[in-house]
Amino acid sequence: MPKGLRIDETLASRRSFHFSFEGREIPAYEGESVATALLAAGITKLRCSPGDGGPRGLFCAMGVCQECVVSVAGQAVEACRLLAAPGLDVKVQP
Amino acid sequence: MSGHDDSTSYDLAVIGGGIMGSAAAIQAAEGGMQTVLIEKSELGSGASGVNAGTLSLQIKRVRLMPYAIRGHALWEHAGDRVGFRRTGGLTLAFTEPEAERLTTTMAMKKEAGAPIVMKSPAEVAALEPGLNKQVVLASYCAEDGYANSSLTGVYYRGLLAGAGVRVHERLAVDGIARSNGAFILITAAGPIRAKRILIACGGWMKDVAAMLGVDLPIRVRINTVAVTERCPPVVGSVIGHATGLLTLKQKTNGTILIGGGWQGRGTPKDGRGEVVAESLLTNLRLAQFAVPALGSSRIARVWTGFEPNVPDFYPLAGALPGVPDAFILGCVRGGYTIGPYIGRLMGDLILGREPEMPLFDPARFAPAKAQAAATH
Amino acid sequence: MSAPDAFDLAVIGGGPAGASAAIEAGRAGLRVVLLDEGRSAGGQVYRAPVSGTGASSGQPDGAVGDRLRADLAASTVDCRFDHRIWLVERGFRVHGLGPDGPATVEAPRLVIAVGAQERHRPVPGWTLPGVIGLAGATNLIKSQKILPGRRVVVAGSGPLLLLVAASILKAGGELAAVIDANGRMDWLRHAPQLMARPDLVGRGAKWLAAILRAGVPLLSRHALRRIVGDDHVEGVVAGPVTGDWDPSASGEFQIACDAVCFGYGLAPATETTRLLGVKHEYVPDMGGWRAVTLPDGSTSVAGLYVCGDGAGVLGAAAAALQGRVTGLAAARDSGHANAADAVERLLPQAARAGRFGMAMTGLALPRDGLLSAMTPETIICRCEGLRRADIDSAIAAGSQTLNGLKSATRCGMGPCGGRVCEDTAAALIAQHTGLSREAIGQSTSRPPLRPVPLGQLAGAFNYLDLPMPEPAPQ
Repeated sequence: MPKGLRIDETLASRRSFHFSFEGREIPAYEGESVATALLAAGITKLRCSPGDGGPRGLFCAMGVCQECVVSVAGQAVEACRLLAAPGLDVKVQP
Repeated sequence: MSGHDDSTSYDLAVIGGGIMGSAAAIQAAEGGMQTVLIEKSELGSGASGVNAGTLSLQIKRVRLMPYAIRGHALWEHAGDRVGFRRTGGLTLAFTEPEAERLTTTMAMKKEAGAPIVMKSPAEVAALEPGLNKQVVLASYCAEDGYANSSLTGVYYRGLLAGAGVRVHERLAVDGIARSNGAFILITAAGPIRAKRILIACGGWMKDVAAMLGVDLPIRVRINTVAVTERCPPVVGSVIGHATGLLTLKQKTNGTILIGGGWQGRGTPKDGRGEVVAESLLTNLRLAQFAVPALGSSRIARVWTGFEPNVPDFYPLAGALPGVPDAFILGCVRGGYTIGPYIGRLMGDLILGREPEMPLFDPARFAPAKAQAAATH
Repeated sequence: MSAPDAFDLAVIGGGPAGASAAIEAGRAGLRVVLLDEGRSAGGQVYRAPVSGTGASSGQPDGAVGDRLRADLAASTVDCRFDHRIWLVERGFRVHGLGPDGPATVEAPRLVIAVGAQERHRPVPGWTLPGVIGLAGATNLIKSQKILPGRRVVVAGSGPLLLLVAASILKAGGELAAVIDANGRMDWLRHAPQLMARPDLVGRGAKWLAAILRAGVPLLSRHALRRIVGDDHVEGVVAGPVTGDWDPSASGEFQIACDAVCFGYGLAPATETTRLLGVKHEYVPDMGGWRAVTLPDGSTSVAGLYVCGDGAGVLGAAAAALQGRVTGLAAARDSGHANAADAVERLLPQAARAGRFGMAMTGLALPRDGLLSAMTPETIICRCEGLRRADIDSAIAAGSQTLNGLKSATRCGMGPCGGRVCEDTAAALIAQHTGLSREAIGQSTSRPPLRPVPLGQLAGAFNYLDLPMPEPAPQ
């Protein structure tokens, strides 16, 4: 797959797989967070703010701001802390 | 509004800017008294502003029901300013012993004037499909609901200003002296003089009464409240439990507030109470059992508030034993619901009027000596 | 709840400070447990890269991080990674949520080394996807090995600006501009303190040279006025700043980009120390509110120590030294008298590293002119979607402390717990009222320290076994 924003020189040696985001197949490499794989796939809007309705995405990238939360099996999870895994079914928060 | 060099001689100084102190101050000021209110933190920052906001007649004590009904009406009148919602409330029993207890207690409360009806499991499921299907019996009161207690301070700040009460926030009373029949409140901003005082500072009442040499058997409960982040709608009514150990409601913004009087630790003197994990976890388990969908929500915040009480769990509301022109108000179980009303009654008593409902004389806890002094 | 594991010392945070404290205390003979929410030690500054072997190829920071991880692995310290701490009770009981569910440890002494968090000053559009914090950007580039965007604007203040910009260039990314609120003179003014660590100054100079060599516009004494875009960043509008960093006073210009890395320095993460009732003080040159500590890390709460950026943002070099001192102090206070000499020996070194860090932190400190970029419509509290106009009107109506503002507006009541908005809200209160930061206060820290799933906390249970106290009288 295309390198794009990824900058790891050892990328070719890392295991790759796919997970699902809103039904779309997202390629990912082992060790990447869901937020990273989505960013590499060009997906930055992860939700709408329940407060003001505006688009939100990855912001603090360290599990503090809670802006990048997505839903996995009905559970809110920070996309920046959630390891991408084969077959993971990630949804936008209801 | 707070300032220094307050040289006015007031008719009344109220210590404590919670619901009861504020409501009493407003009533006194509207009755013509020049009134000052002193709050060591901010208006509504104690139990008045951090309780779970439940307005449920089902959890009120029988003898306090008439006060609760009137307090409820005052919150309804405050409406959107305090986030009032009448949602109806369900109290759940999951076992036969719980159902028996529920039947007995709710019969007494109905007798006392709360419009309570019993609901079968099928009726409960129809009304609230998000509840655990293991309900064996429930009671329902259409009057029940909630308000947003964190708006208490903002609400009363406006009313106090409108009534012309002078308010000092972030000012502690460090001591109380008497001079020529008046009280002198010692504060960092200088002395504040008043002919009468009302002690209405919740968890800190015992210490302030002690400044006047009065020892009252006030103890403090440290109640825990938890709230989830915003969730899709799961429950519309205010939910309780037959034991009284759960209150739960989903706010219009989607957050779910969970309480029930589970105990933290700490003392008012230390400032804030501390959340105790074991106590909180049992509260959360009970909540999740009642509303299974809660399991996938995230807890956003947990806090504690100090709720004072006396051994009979009835209010302290009346003259401070042995100290002429001093009054005390607090220890009201269900103080959030009842507070606005009993505060008014207290204001009337201080104005020398006959309150429309009887108050709860603190002399019942005073040593004989103080009682004798009080009658002279 | 099963009985918690007992130790002599618990350490929260596996960055340079916490890991060093744990290693030293372990060497001195204490039974130590270290908890961190990351998947390995290193913290934000030395976070391990995701790729391949785990070795950090060539970067000086990477080598330091690898050494720290190796030392920790060789130590007696019981390391529990991927543990999110949600509550700490006095005494001390540390409650975490790990990969296998809730986990509690108990120790009579506790070191808190939770580091710093980014400080922001909002501008219109800062909530758009594609805008990320400077510290977050270093995490993406160093650890996640991804660029924040194809064409990036780096803006704000302090050393992270240069670090992020240089890292993007080194990784082969495109920089649209570097926008620094400080001028050359501001940097020079801090030169004397910076010279406490010529090695680190040298690194900064190398970053700067790389930026200039690449021909990237380096806009000193400029700041963002707004970020534009619909569902994603499409560009920024910037302008020159006044001495107070007001970017709205004169002309503006637009720069096209698809990502913005944005921040105004770091502030100590104090939620854990506030929760435990530690005394705090407001020291701008150490990043704002900090736990009051003695040089050996001890605090106003017996048995509780704080080290690293959480005790004042002084940087990684100072944090590691402070961590060593603190770990030894905890051993000394546990009765290991031989640790006392080592504490005294390390203190001067730690102080020297601290002076450099303080100069860097002072340089990053946002000035009040930035508040004029916040229009009435600008979102201040991202969680609750509160705009400046909401905050302003609540302040005008009498909410003059962070706790008061929180009750009145819900500012800081969302899932971030106020960590993103509170410093800005306090700056707005100060501007309206003239009150000091001390008078405005901090908000009361409430657990959980991070949002936690209720179901995971509750775990499996039997309803009939729930310990129910006798109900209150009816």
